[in-house]
Amino acid sequence: MLRRALGFLVLVSLLLIPAIGFAATAASPVKAKPVVKPAVTPKVLAASTAPAKATAAGAGQLTQFRWASHIDAITGASSLRLVFDASGPVSVDSSVIATPTPRLVVTVKGATPGQLKNSVAFDGKIADNVNISADGQNTRITIETPLMVEDGDYKVFTLRQDPANNKPFRVVVDINKPVPPMVFNYTPGLQNKTIVIDPGHGGTDPGAVGPGKTTEKAVNLAISLKVKALLEKAGAKVVLTRTGDSDVYGPNASAVNELKARATVGNARKADLFLSVHANSFGNPTVGGTATYYYQKTPYDAMLARAIQANMAPAGGLQDRGVSAANFYVIKQTIMPAVLVETAFISNPDEEKLLNDPVFQQKIAQGIVQGMENFFAQAARKGGER
Amino acid sequence: MTGKIKTLVLVFALLIAALAAGCDAEKPVTVTPPPSAPAAGKEQTPAGTKEDSIRLTIYFATKDALYLVPEEHIVPKTSQPAHMAIEHLLAGPTSGELAKVMPEGTQLRSLRVKDHIAYVDFNDKLIKNNTGGSASEILIVGAVVDTLTQFPDIQKVRILVEGKAIDTISGHLDLTEPLSRSTDIIKKKQ
Repeated sequence: MLRRALGFLVLVSLLLIPAIGFAATAASPVKAKPVVKPAVTPKVLAASTAPAKATAAGAGQLTQFRWASHIDAITGASSLRLVFDASGPVSVDSSVIATPTPRLVVTVKGATPGQLKNSVAFDGKIADNVNISADGQNTRITIETPLMVEDGDYKVFTLRQDPANNKPFRVVVDINKPVPPMVFNYTPGLQNKTIVIDPGHGGTDPGAVGPGKTTEKAVNLAISLKVKALLEKAGAKVVLTRTGDSDVYGPNASAVNELKARATVGNARKADLFLSVHANSFGNPTVGGTATYYYQKTPYDAMLARAIQANMAPAGGLQDRGVSAANFYVIKQTIMPAVLVETAFISNPDEEKLLNDPVFQQKIAQGIVQGMENFFAQAARKGGER
Repeated sequence: MTGKIKTLVLVFALLIAALAAGCDAEKPVTVTPPPSAPAAGKEQTPAGTKEDSIRLTIYFATKDALYLVPEEHIVPKTSQPAHMAIEHLLAGPTSGELAKVMPEGTQLRSLRVKDHIAYVDFNDKLIKNNTGGSASEILIVGAVVDTLTQFPDIQKVRILVEGKAIDTISGHLDLTEPLSRSTDIIKKKQ
């Protein structure tokens, strides 16, 4: 009778296999073992599998919690990495909860919190607090965040044990610093917009100097004044961070004070846009072209950069070096969408001549202004972007 | 069938179901694949290197000054590989296809590592002999940070000039905080 029943069991397990797929197939040899031993009773069967089940469900513990912030040296993009060491293999599951306060909840299956502290406070830039609690044989990690974390802005994964490098099983949580969902109610057109233009360098700081001794500060101001004239003609209000060959903070100020003073002009005027005008340079005099940089601190910065570069680069007719994210002080510290344009390479003798040429300056200025107009149209139509 | 056997069947079926569920749970829903092993690890004792030499990765610029490209330098074994890497960065590339990023005359004054942050101190030529453009500033900072963060002990880099931490090299990049590796600036392999 028992034998027949066990035969039936094998049949049941075989029938079940196709339905539960590969995972069960892999598990079935383990199941089959008790079946081939006729002496095995139901009790023993249950008992013999219990430890295995317990292992799968979590005899492990979390042994350490570490974290590190990451600030990309060039783009300035910041992220936070949380690492939990585990005594054995674990699996993870995660979800974002929006209310009543934003949280990222990670469930570590197969490990209890062990001796870990149950709450760790963070600086609030990316996370406010990390709470660790037991959830049966699992661990629930609740990461309280200042803003809701979007799906593309976090990753949760496990890493295997790596004895060669003395690394245990790990759970890793990476969270990118969120872009605040600021809404600027932009209308199309340049009329009545407030735009702050920052002619780069000036006064005691000449900026880059060309092979023909042209100073960057001079051509930056010349182009900025042309942009100002075009914008005012279109009905915009324009404020320059400097109108002559002067420092903005004061002569020989610290670099940060000088840059902060420029960002402050934009912030104090509650400008709609901030434009910093620069000329580029590099050791190799054949390098040339036009580039636009942004720091995505609002949902509009990259959009503005693309709109300006798309018009300025063809207007100047030089190599299009594209749009890049950069950890530049003035575009990061201004609160409104901002770009820094590198109109041409002053270190390239041909481009140095162009930078001094009022016709080239005018073309670049027209490209920038057209780009701003396109930006306002686009931002009014579809709002910001993530 | 006896009740006992029925129970046995039930237990077995439930067990398979539970195990299947357990296995499914091991395929995490929101989980993305783990990143490839950090580039740092492989720099130490690469295969094919003689035991008395080490392989360093030094970053130089493409000739159009748009990207950094790693160049491997095999050097005699040293107790200060990070110093050696910066000296090679200052000396310039061996390949004629790459451009040096560090300004002429720049010298390393000191390099110390504390709490996984490297404090790398150069002489004032880093600023005085820099051409002043954002292109060169981006490449200098990227090359210094990426060359130093190849070492597992160095997670971030703070740049100093003549013993003082600097806020910027030429008035564009914000260097006020220790900076981590940048991968976007490294040219993708074709």
